[in-house]
Amino acid sequence: MVLAALGILLVAIAILMIVTPSLGQQGVTVAGGSFSMSQIMVAFVTGVTTGGLSCLAVQGGLLASSLAHQIEQDYLQNPPQGKKTKASVQPKRSNSALPILLFLTSKMVMYTLLGALFGWAGSFLTFSPVTRAVLMIAIAIFMLGNGLRMLNVHPIFRYFAIEPPKFITRYIRRTAKNGTELFTPLFLGALTVFIPCGVTQAMLATALGTGSALAGAALLFAFTLGTSPVFFIVAYLTTELGARLEKFFMRFVAAVVLVLGLVTLNGALNLLGSPLSFENLTRGLIPSTGNSSALAESAPSSSTGGITLQVRSDGYFPQMLKAPAGQKVTLSLVTNQTYSCARDFVIPDLDYYQLLPETGTVTVDIPAQPAGTKMFFTCSMGMYTGQIIFE
Amino acid sequence: MVKKTYSVPDMHCSNCSMRLESIEDDLPGIREINASYHKQQMIVEFDEAKVSEEQILAAVKKKGYQAIPA
Repeated sequence: MVLAALGILLVAIAILMIVTPSLGQQGVTVAGGSFSMSQIMVAFVTGVTTGGLSCLAVQGGLLASSLAHQIEQDYLQNPPQGKKTKASVQPKRSNSALPILLFLTSKMVMYTLLGALFGWAGSFLTFSPVTRAVLMIAIAIFMLGNGLRMLNVHPIFRYFAIEPPKFITRYIRRTAKNGTELFTPLFLGALTVFIPCGVTQAMLATALGTGSALAGAALLFAFTLGTSPVFFIVAYLTTELGARLEKFFMRFVAAVVLVLGLVTLNGALNLLGSPLSFENLTRGLIPSTGNSSALAESAPSSSTGGITLQVRSDGYFPQMLKAPAGQKVTLSLVTNQTYSCARDFVIPDLDYYQLLPETGTVTVDIPAQPAGTKMFFTCSMGMYTGQIIFE
Repeated sequence: MVKKTYSVPDMHCSNCSMRLESIEDDLPGIREINASYHKQQMIVEFDEAKVSEEQILAAVKKKGYQAIPA
């Protein structure tokens, strides 16, 4: 009963995180890196939707092995009587809840630590928005390559999959066979770090991109937490996913990984100030009333040549600013209880990068620009964007 | 002791190689199995006096794969 309650608790945490939209607006900036709660949410939802089954496909065998001992014990303690062989063993499977929970807890702790390690390692790489963009492009290529691998597009993409060294897989397998008591699931759960599934690898790559140990840990914790309910339920019911279902499911996972890859690539393009990013290509095409009214509000005051941008937790307003060409312009960045990564303000063309205060005003002097210039700005994650048009 | 190479075209992730390698614990007479997802193949080193090729192929099939002698 207690174990079932724990399982329900995991699901409850999952639902709570999904239905609390205000969390999505919060964000944290830590030790040079930044991440937003929405990114954590994405990690969590990815865990719930694809990570659980994808990880189960890779690590399910280990879990099954760690359960083998428990099932054997149940069998010895309650030997089947008469003809009811299967039926009499089946209800005793409830005892397997504890090993599954131990396995998942151990896995969650290890991946959180691994996330912290990746985030920490990433902190040495994130020197500038450009470095970050380059890293994001590498991550995107890794994700897209893995997505295409899962779809079996070309044999070359198989090299995007990381094969753990033989001595590690052999050691894991032997431990699973010979292990005893509750230590086995704990130990095997910890060993799953050596055989991460494709989606987990993508998450680790994202953790690297955050450039912060705390962000990396939070990201992987959210992801592993997300995978846990699915892992628990499926493992509890079957302990192994059928090969046919696994192959079908791979396509779904591939699609999600491809989308994550494209989103990451798009973020990198934003960070480079490229006009080819999705937002920069479509901003002019979709006229919205919100934008146009905001545009009017921020019309430059000709006397000062100053323009104002509201930096809010949910992005930059207006997204399109107009500024006079051929003269110096002062851009005022106004924050008011802004907590998301929108605070990490970047103008790629000017090589300008500034962490804005949570509340306050920061001014940027923009040198005179020729008419027709489009200057893009973005947050350091390439999530929130906008542009200044000089005319 | 002989060493034979098989192509396993339906391996779809690195875990498949781990699954195939676990056959070395199941069948006595197999010294070592080296499966590679990248190459879509497995190399089996076994003692023909203790285990037959048919038994190996059957074990592979039981795991959900098809091994074709290369």
